[in-house]
Amino acid sequence: MSIKTAQESGLALCPKCHKLNDMKQSADNNARILCSRCCGMFYPRKPYSLQYTLAWNIAALIAFIPANIYPIMILYSMGIGEPNTILSGIGEFIDYGLYPIAVIIFTASIIVPLIKIIGLFLLVYRVHTGVRLRPDKHSKFYHALEFLGPWSMLDVFVVALLVAVVELGFVTSVSAGPAINYFTLTVIFTMIAANSFDPRLLWDKKQGSKNAKEENDD
Amino acid sequence: MTKIKNTKQLIACQQCDALYDTPVLKLGESAKCTRCGSILAERKVDSIERSFYWSLAGIMLSVPAILLPIMGVTLVGQYHHASLLDCILALIDNGFFMIATLVFLFTLAVPVVRLLGAFYITYSFKFNRLKPSLLHFFRAYHHLDNWAMLNVFMLGIVVSMYKLLDDTELSVNMGLLAFILWLICSTMASSALDQDYVWQELENKFVD
Repeated sequence: MSIKTAQESGLALCPKCHKLNDMKQSADNNARILCSRCCGMFYPRKPYSLQYTLAWNIAALIAFIPANIYPIMILYSMGIGEPNTILSGIGEFIDYGLYPIAVIIFTASIIVPLIKIIGLFLLVYRVHTGVRLRPDKHSKFYHALEFLGPWSMLDVFVVALLVAVVELGFVTSVSAGPAINYFTLTVIFTMIAANSFDPRLLWDKKQGSKNAKEENDD
Repeated sequence: MTKIKNTKQLIACQQCDALYDTPVLKLGESAKCTRCGSILAERKVDSIERSFYWSLAGIMLSVPAILLPIMGVTLVGQYHHASLLDCILALIDNGFFMIATLVFLFTLAVPVVRLLGAFYITYSFKFNRLKPSLLHFFRAYHHLDNWAMLNVFMLGIVVSMYKLLDDTELSVNMGLLAFILWLICSTMASSALDQDYVWQELENKFVD
């Protein structure tokens, strides 16, 4: 193995300013280090990364249930309210024949949160056990998850816009439903979960098992 | 453990922690990690100048983008329009304070603060007013990296237009143009800013 990591050389990278710092006294991963360039405290690896990711992930999964049960917006026309959940809103688009929009909303508000939650569970599991761990593939997967995160807010912004624009008194008006709270929480929780996952753990685990194998061979 | 060279001659990948010698890059070149493929370091062309002007334009555009109405609807003779600020106020009227706060943060506060931050940093570089406090300032600037969602809001505008197109008469206002320009300016301002260069200059000046 030709590539050395900074950690093995007794160095640690500041996550904010990308300055390499000497890990002076100990090689302990949970020791706080003061960055010599930006004067911020940081850890060589995010502490309890897997535990935090798992916890935020479970919270996101729980919040995702009421987000789909309760109506996300209520359309009033002539004084009669018609509640819409996320799924029934998508169904409406399909009824009108607007398939591209239906696909965009379905991707942003159902598929992306689910893929993020399931994907992070998978990553945490793989890093914890080291079973069939392929760091190159998995780190690409992680970056895709991180990139997709904010796009789930789409539905929230659409509801916010509709509430503001469609305000024609008795004739038609739109008001937000309770699901929007839970849905936003889902998105925020998955974003924090993705942020607390440390992709460097993938490589550490692989390197660790490889080193152990080499020792066994000797 | 081998003897460590000067840490300035080394660079580590942010994503997988692999250690490399600092590459010598020409303007416009970037170096990639051989193990995970993420970008190690890059030198952007004309970074300070470009970022300065993009952020200046963005700051000027932010006022019309926030205050001018983005779109309006007409239905049985009644007309109503709304701006970005109206969205937040409508949510407050509805009693959704948490959503109002978050929409305010993601689409208004964070982009504006980021533009002001980029402007302040590039201004200090352009006119040689570097202060040690910039180290802390630039560090704080990076905390906001993930939380600007103007592009998502743009897609939201498009989707809600389709939604309204069916049963109302939709009209597009000047606010939409301002918003699109604002989105372009803020994206360009943050992508043109060369972080490695800023950190290097600040370090050479104040840390050593």
